[in-house]
Parts: sequence; C-alpha cells; structure tokens
Amino acid sequence: MAEKIIVALAGNPNVGKTSIFNAITGSKQHVGNWPGVTVEKKMGKRVHSDVEMEVVDLPGTYSLTAYSLDEIVARDFIIEEKPDIVVQVVDGTNLERNLYLTTQLMELGVKLVIALNMSDLVLSKGVHIDEAKMQEYLEVPVVSTIGSTGNGIHGLLDTIIERSSDKRVYGNTFDYEEDIEVRAEELEMILEKDPYFAHYPSRWFSLKLLEGDENILRKARGSESYPKIKNVLDNLDPDSFESRIADQRYGTIQFMLRQVCDINTSHLSGSDMVDRVVTNKYLGIPIFLSLMWAAFEVTFTFATPFMNMIDIFFAWLGEVTVSLISTDWLSSLIGEGIIAGVGSVLIFLPNILLLFFMLSIMEDSGYISRAAFIMDRVMSRIGLHGKSFIPLIMGFGCNVPAIMATRTIEDSRDRLITILVTPFISCGARLPVYVLLAGAFFGRDAGVVIFSLYALGILVALLSAKLMRGTVLRGEDAPFIMELPEYRIPTLRSGIIHMWERGKIYLKKAGGIILLGVVGVWLLASIPVPGSGGQFASGDIYGTTSSLLGAIGMLIEPLVAPLGFDWRIAVALLFGVVAKEIVVGSMGVLYGAGTNEENLAGILAAGAMSPLVGLGLMVFVLLYVPCFACIGVIKRETGSWKWTLFQLFYGTGLAWGLAFLVYQTGSRIGLLS
Amino acid sequence: MNYSYQKKEALFAALAGVLYVISGTLHIVEGLGADTGFAALLFVQADILGGFCLAVIGMVFLYGLLEMRRGIKAGMSFAYVGILLSIIFMAVYLLIMGGNLLDSFIVPGDYEGWNIMESLRPGIYLGLLSLMAAFSWKGRFSSNGISVREEV
Ligand SMILES: Nc1nc2c(ncn2[C@@H]2O[C@H](COP(=O)(O)OP(=O)(O)OP(=O)(O)O)[C@@H](O)[C@H]2O)c(=O)[nH]1
Ligand SMILES: [Mg+2]
Repeated sequence: MAEKIIVALAGNPNVGKTSIFNAITGSKQHVGNWPGVTVEKKMGKRVHSDVEMEVVDLPGTYSLTAYSLDEIVARDFIIEEKPDIVVQVVDGTNLERNLYLTTQLMELGVKLVIALNMSDLVLSKGVHIDEAKMQEYLEVPVVSTIGSTGNGIHGLLDTIIERSSDKRVYGNTFDYEEDIEVRAEELEMILEKDPYFAHYPSRWFSLKLLEGDENILRKARGSESYPKIKNVLDNLDPDSFESRIADQRYGTIQFMLRQVCDINTSHLSGSDMVDRVVTNKYLGIPIFLSLMWAAFEVTFTFATPFMNMIDIFFAWLGEVTVSLISTDWLSSLIGEGIIAGVGSVLIFLPNILLLFFMLSIMEDSGYISRAAFIMDRVMSRIGLHGKSFIPLIMGFGCNVPAIMATRTIEDSRDRLITILVTPFISCGARLPVYVLLAGAFFGRDAGVVIFSLYALGILVALLSAKLMRGTVLRGEDAPFIMELPEYRIPTLRSGIIHMWERGKIYLKKAGGIILLGVVGVWLLASIPVPGSGGQFASGDIYGTTSSLLGAIGMLIEPLVAPLGFDWRIAVALLFGVVAKEIVVGSMGVLYGAGTNEENLAGILAAGAMSPLVGLGLMVFVLLYVPCFACIGVIKRETGSWKWTLFQLFYGTGLAWGLAFLVYQTGSRIGLLS
Repeated sequence: MNYSYQKKEALFAALAGVLYVISGTLHIVEGLGADTGFAALLFVQADILGGFCLAVIGMVFLYGLLEMRRGIKAGMSFAYVGILLSIIFMAVYLLIMGGNLLDSFIVPGDYEGWNIMESLRPGIYLGLLSLMAAFSWKGRFSSNGISVREEV
C-alpha cells in the first residue's frame, strides 16, 4: 500500500458525521436524530484506490471555541493531532449555521473537503444548492452525500484522496474590517517569533485571541511573549471584537449563500406543526407521559408471549439435562445452577429488545430533544437545564452511555450532578427484577407497579439533584439553548439494528458475567461450611445455611433484616453489584428454580417471599449501588473517587431508607404481607 | 383560503376530542373501582394510565378546536397531531391484542374462556376514526411530514 492518511470527520452536531463514518468504514457506531450522540472520537479504517485511510469520527461542535467536553475532544483532535484531511460534514438544509464552522476551519488552514450532506432533504424541500459555485467561492471541494444511505460516499473518497495529494495551502480567505486586521497582524508578528506557538497557525491563533477565547488565552499565558500579547489585547474591547468578528463571518456567509442557493422560508413545515403541539405549555408534559406509557406497554405487555416461549424452552431443557446426567453434582450444577440461573435472566430478552427498540424510535424521530425542551421548565426549578434530561432518558436503556452523554453539558457542576443522579434511572438490567417480582406478586396491577418504580427513579433523581444543587454543588442556572432537529420517520431498519446490537450485548452478558456469577453462587451454595462435615453439593447442604454461601448470607443478613430481607436476598444483592441481572440469576439458583415444577416467579408467588418484601426489594434494587461497569464510568467521568464513593453511599443509604419505610409501614398497617 | 377546509378539521376535532375524553374518563373511573356498566358494552377496561393517555389525546383535539375557533389557523396542527397520536395508540393496543392472541396459543391454560374481543379497547375503534380522517386528508401530508399551504 502506497500511502496512509488520517481523515477527520468534523461538523456541527446532528449533521450526519457518524452516518458517513459508518458508510465509509462499515462500522455500526451509534446514530441518532439529536445533537450530542457522539461524545468521544471513534476510529475506523478504509482502503480506497490503494490509499489507506484512518477515519476519525468526532463529536459535533458549533465552532472551534469549545465549551463542553465533547466539543473540546473535537477541537483538540483537529488542532493538536493535525489530520491530513478534515472533512466537514455540512447539513445542506441548514447551511448558514454550518458554514460558520467552515470559516473557522479555513482560518485554521486545514485541508478541507466539504460533504454536503442531507442532500435528499435539500431536494425534497425544493431548495437548489449550486455546488460548483460554492466550491469556487470557498476554494474547497464540495461533494453531495446522503449519509443515511451511503450515496455519494465513493465520490467523497475520491475527492479526499485527490485533495490529500494536493500540496497547496489554503486559508486566510476572510478579510475583516481594517482595525481588526491591524491588530491581528500585530499579534501574528509576535506569535511567529515565539517557537512556543510554532504548533498553531498564527492567523487563526491571533483571531481567537481577539475574540477572547478562554482556552486560547490560557495557552498564551504559558508563553514568554505573553506580556507583549497582553499589551495588544489590553488596548481593545474584547466584547466588541468578538461580536464584530462573528458578525463579519456571518455577513460573508450570507453574501455567499445568496449566490449559491435559493432559500425559501416562511413555510410552516411538518416539524413546526408537530412542535407547536408537543411543546405546548399545557399539553407538552401530558403528551410526553402518554408516549412513555405507550412505549412501556409495548415493552412489557407485548413481550409476554415471547417470554413464555423462552420459559417453556428452559423448563424443557432443565428436565432433559437432569434426566440425562447421572452424576449428582454435575446435574445440580447444570440444572440448578446454570439453567436455572441463566435461564431466569434470559427470559427477559424480549423485554430488553423491545425496550431498546422503543428508545431507538425515540432517538431517531427527534422527539428526545423535545422531551428535553419540555422538561426544561421542571429542570430549571431544580437548577439544572433541559440538557440534563437527555442522559436521564438514555439511562432507561443503560446508565453507562447515559453517563457518557453528560459530556455535552457545559457547566462542570451541572454535569457532575447529572452524573451522580443518572444511576437512579432504572436501566434495562434492573427491569428483570421488576418483571419477576411484580409479575409474581401484583398480577393485573404489575404494569402500574413497574411504571411507578420507573417514576420513583425519576423522582429520586430529580429530588437528589435539587438537594445537591442546594448544598454541596451550588451554582447558577445557565440559559438553555438546544437545537430541535427536524423530525424524521424512524426506519424499521435502524430500529432493528439498534435492537440487535443491544440484544447481542445482553446475550454476551448472559453467557459471560452472568453465567460466571451464577456458577459462583452455585459453587458457594454447594460447598459445606468447613468443619460441618457435609458433602459437596449434597441435598442437605445445597442452598442452605450450612453452605459457605449460607454462612456469608447469615453474616450480612442482620444488615438487611430490618427491610424484611432474608439471607438469600442479601446474597443475591451482594452478587448483583457485578451486574444487576445477577440478582434474578442468583435468586433462580437459591430458590431452586431448576428442580421445581414452577419457574422462579411461581415459587416466589407460592409463598417463598411476601409481596411486601418483594416491593421493598424492587425499591432497593432501583436505588442501591450501580453495577461495576457503571461505577467504573462514574469514576472515569468525574475523575474522582470521592464523588464515586459519594454516589455509592448516598444511593445505598437511600435504598435502605426507602425499603425500610416500605417494609415497616407495610407490616405495621398489615398491607401486602 | 378555503373556509370549508378549516371547518372539516374543526368538526372532526370536536367529535374525536369529545369521544376520546369520554372514553379516557371511563377507563379511569373503572380503574378507580367504580362500575360504569360500560365495560361490557364498549370494552372499557379498568386502566387508569391508559385512560389518562386517551384523555390527553382528546384534550389535544379540543385544544386545537379552541384555537381554530379563535381563528388561529395553525390550530389545525393539533388536529393533525391528535390523529398521529391516536394512530400510535391504536397500533400499541393492536400489538397488545396480537400478543394476547399469540400467548393464548403458547400457554392455553392461562386463557381458558378467553376470546379476542376481550382485548378490544376504545383506543382501537376510535383509532379507526382517525385513520379514516388521515386517509381522506392524505393529500395534505407531504413527504416532509404534514404541511399546510397557507402562511401563518
Ligand atoms: N435524510 C437524511 N438523513 C440523514 C442523512 N445523514 C444522516 N441522517 C440522519 O441524521 C441523523 C443524525 O445522524 P448522525 O450520523 O448521528 O449525526 P452526527 O453528526 O454524528 O451527530 P452527533 O454525533 O450528535 O454530532 C440520523 O437520524 C441519521 O439517520 C442524510 O443524508 N439524509
Ligand atoms: Mg455522531
């Protein structure tokens, strides 16, 4: 192979960068119709015409003045890593705002190619964009693409290669008013003499200094020539410079747009009409709740027949294996351990698939941004803004990407609060616990009980946020700016891909960590307490307090006894820290779901646990320590063990308190016992 | 602009609005334990949250009616979105109905004496009304979603 080049995909949020990245590299990175889907850089490879390309998908950014963490990732990659080619993906239906970034990329002097994306939508809106003129005007190659179908990707790759072998340097195309130019030149002279700045294009750097960009100023402060720079900057009014520079960029863009395309406005589009209704002051929140309920109904009720099928399969499998294997301990391991444990978890695969299908519809349609917008009023009472609501919704799927999604939140305290309360949102892994327990104890009202648990999770998250905002993490609430992307009809294909990806993760988890967990539980439940003289995996040891597990359970039982939990539940909760599904898996092992006629729900309903304890247990599982993966990501994103531990103790304390309340009041007034 | 164009929407919004609010309320009343006597006749089941959703759809229609009566043309948006929502809910109830049917084959023991009509809900047959409206107004739903010709 002759050459290797690095190609970065940059652009505003939600313009289709990841779609194009997926089309180029054949990956399946997450795509969604809302700004802020991608929050870290992702790499991929593609060979085209004998050139090896390393393609980098970046988070969206409105300008090269970075405010939030995801924007900083994008900007740093472009500036510090100096990719050979930067492809700016541009949303053709929103040229004016997108070209603002173009001006900055050009000033930066990068080798630019513009992918004029969403060209299908441009066409259907009846707008015509003259690519040739645009190319001529900007002196940058422009290629039309449709990211979601992969149209135009070939042409884009050809252009990238052509551009990368072109040695000319472009940039510096925009002229500003006289006094700005004078200052910029003064600064450029200073910068060029100082090797400290050799890394940065001096024209761009000096304009950024004039705009008063915090990040750039901080960098400049580290240099020896800073006094000279300060001298120039002290003699001007930074605010006026900033707005004048921006105005002139927009002026140039508008001038160009008038020649390049015919824009028709003043038309109430479908999106606008829907938004008038769903963001209505009175109806917005009720509509949001109704849609959540609809998604919820599908996730739980529609899944029932499929769950029953899996249940029947595992019951059959259990019988067959037990009858085939004559070695006692082996048959116990497979029947009572693996099949009962993993089977109890796999039953919930249909729920998981449907849950992620629903979330994908929500993301692809663009409604998720509206949800954030509607909730902004509620959120601002708490002292956060609507943006913090998006991670909370994502959290219904899995808390880990949800915590990552907080990177789009600019204010670091807002972000920290959001990270700390996201684990209270009930994720897909906790759902098996509810379906199991609510199904066993609440029959027809199971749906209402589960919905209430989800609501409780949100309530606890919001109240905790308010509490933190009022005490340890005080701060101002910032104005809320959020782009509302146009609605799109979600495609079945993207829903199924999403569902399939998550389904695979669930299956892998069931075959990996959950299997390991239940085998561990089985093993500990089979080993007799040293000195007791019992036999490994024998009937009078297995799953009793004479087993090692039983001994551990008895040791921690006093901690949870006030909640009505026995040692089995205590052990299940302990192992559930690894992954929440293991709570169900270990209960399957410990309550003998493998040997019994009934499945786990049947055993519990028949009296192995009281409904009141079941309710308390659901509340506890909702709020206590998040899983390992989640703890890991909290640590990484907060960068602090202190806050991670705070989350763990706070959550577990709350879980204990609420479960205590449920059990004690319930048993006092004789409810559900 | 054509006056009858608006009038049809207003009429539909009034009708659908009232029907949805009533059936939503009946669901809620049943859910609170009262027997309205409509359960057998109109397939209204005890379902507080489902009833809330139907009532919300009804309110969307009625809100649109209110705006249209006040001469705000964009009030039509509410009629269109109401139609959209009621079709979504019809789809949800149909899915559940299909799920029940499938389940009755898988675990027949749990479904003795059950027949499919027990899964019929107002959300389904009222949805038909919206579906009809959507079809007869199809011309106004462009590829960009829903569009209106007049300016606001
Ligand atoms: N109609 C149409 N839709 C597109 C096109 N390209 C992308 N999309 C859709 O636009 C939405 C945004 O796409 P993404 O690829 O996630 O955008 P992104 O730029 O990576 O977004 P962030 O990561 O949030 O900055 C998705 O719903 C895509 O399916 C296109 O050319 N035409
Ligand atoms: Mg992306």
